[in-house]
Amino acid sequence: MEENFLSLDDILLSQERLPVRTECVFPRLGFLEKSSDSQDIPEGTKMELPLWLSKGLYEKKRKVLSVELPKVYKEGWRTVFTADPNVVDLHKMGPYYYGLGSQMLHFDSPENPDIAKTLLQTFIGRFRRTMDSSQNAYNEDTSVLVGRLDCLEKVLFRSGQKGLNGFQSWEKGQASQLTASSLVLNYRKRKLVDVQA
Amino acid sequence: MFCEKAIDLIRELHRMSDGQLPAFNEDGLRQVLQEMEALYEQNQADVNEAKTIGRADLIPSIKLRHCCLLRNQRCIFAYLYDRLLRIRALRWEYGSVLPANVRFHMSAEEVQWFGQYKKSLASFMRSIGGKEGLDITQDMKPPKSLYIQVRCLKDYGEFEIDDGTVILLKKNSQHFLPRWKCEQLIRQGILEHVMS
Amino acid sequence: MDPSEVEFLAEKEFVKIIPNFSLDKIYLIGGDLGPFNPGLPVDVPVWLALNLKQRQKCRILPLEWMDVEKLEEIRELERKEDAFTPAPSPYYMELTKLLLNHASDNIPKADEIRTLVKDIWDTRIAKLRLSADSFIRQQEAHAQLDNLTLMEINTIREFLLDSLNCMYKLRSNLQPGSTKGQFADY
Repeated sequence: MEENFLSLDDILLSQERLPVRTECVFPRLGFLEKSSDSQDIPEGTKMELPLWLSKGLYEKKRKVLSVELPKVYKEGWRTVFTADPNVVDLHKMGPYYYGLGSQMLHFDSPENPDIAKTLLQTFIGRFRRTMDSSQNAYNEDTSVLVGRLDCLEKVLFRSGQKGLNGFQSWEKGQASQLTASSLVLNYRKRKLVDVQA
Repeated sequence: MFCEKAIDLIRELHRMSDGQLPAFNEDGLRQVLQEMEALYEQNQADVNEAKTIGRADLIPSIKLRHCCLLRNQRCIFAYLYDRLLRIRALRWEYGSVLPANVRFHMSAEEVQWFGQYKKSLASFMRSIGGKEGLDITQDMKPPKSLYIQVRCLKDYGEFEIDDGTVILLKKNSQHFLPRWKCEQLIRQGILEHVMS
Repeated sequence: MDPSEVEFLAEKEFVKIIPNFSLDKIYLIGGDLGPFNPGLPVDVPVWLALNLKQRQKCRILPLEWMDVEKLEEIRELERKEDAFTPAPSPYYMELTKLLLNHASDNIPKADEIRTLVKDIWDTRIAKLRLSADSFIRQQEAHAQLDNLTLMEINTIREFLLDSLNCMYKLRSNLQPGSTKGQFADY
């Protein structure tokens, strides 16, 4: 799964932090590591770097960095996911469970095939529930339903709701009614809040 | 860490996910550009040192700063591009004249871009549909009838319809008007479409 | 597609009316209509039928399948079969709504028909979801959408396409070497 250069979601996903260990010295960048006051980042330092930086620095041939797998993708959690993907709160574990997992495959690891398999099986295992909740919930507070979904599933939930809501409003005869743009209404609401504040 | 300002810009835009346009963050943008300048200068100095006195050990740090430069660039591109998409959508929601509170959130360049988009859309609409041209922002939903019943939601003032008659759009007054004349005003929340 | 666009397409379907006025043949881009003679049945598109009806210029004859017995049969068959049975009309849902809302006085047992059509719709939508789930579960590459109507597909289209895209991406993760080892520059 490759990132989309201009997507805000993908930029936020690549901001997720990964545990890494430096495999060489990074001279004159010591100030990035708050726990030390040396001028350089010494070799063997354990720190957290965002995905985009880990990806940018990572090279197979000349290792300057080794990246550790976040624990949700390790074997222990993989077993949990395989047992019953529906019990897991992917929002809490993620919220970019699928996206980050796919990105982790860029880093060489013998566990990669198993990670890829678990990601797919988890998605498939949770699909029915995502579909049913998005296609049944009409005119109700959906925050509970969405609460445990990963970002990718949330997007699906929203497109399911769009289909349902469109049909329901057609059935009630509201589809041909011209309405004010929601953008316009939201601006007005905001202006009101500004005035009250 | 580097690039924190850049991700703040992205978060700011992402929080308004319903297509609204937050105020152009000139200050944030300037801070990112300043950071990029500093990164670039530091890298220039280190590259020179690496070349002239052979300090190959500087290379990992040069690479790290370079990644940060690219990251900042990506964030700025995405910030500006996403805003343009939102600004383009405004033309379809509000029509060609934006309310002051929306325009207020745009930078000078964005206002200029909006003007150009407006122009090319207008000249495209003039070029199709025969002599009269065709307004493609009309009839976003298939029309059921040529005339519709509308209720005024606010005092708007005088309004001229096809045959030259002028009617007064007063709050709570109801009118039976040509659909194509009202569509824009309904979208702007001035009129309400009353279904029989 | 917006459901109102789907309904717009349905309005091109033909229906029989009995006019109470006379008018010569009229020539339109979409074809010739009429002539209209009082008391003589004539075929017109639904949009025209509804317009005439609203102005009390005609009586609309119910479509041939808008019949309680026929619909009950279709409902039972739909419930029995695993696959989708042929719908009463490719626009059965839209036409039912349009005609029953504007000409219910011309259609006998209108309320029963409304309920039956809704039952058929619900059964078919439940089937649609079941097959979407098994489609994903078995990681199929293609599906047959025989006998589904536009309105039915339309309610689930975006959701299903997005899901398939997700699944495609997650599946391509399984092929090592597809993207591995070579990063895009960002």
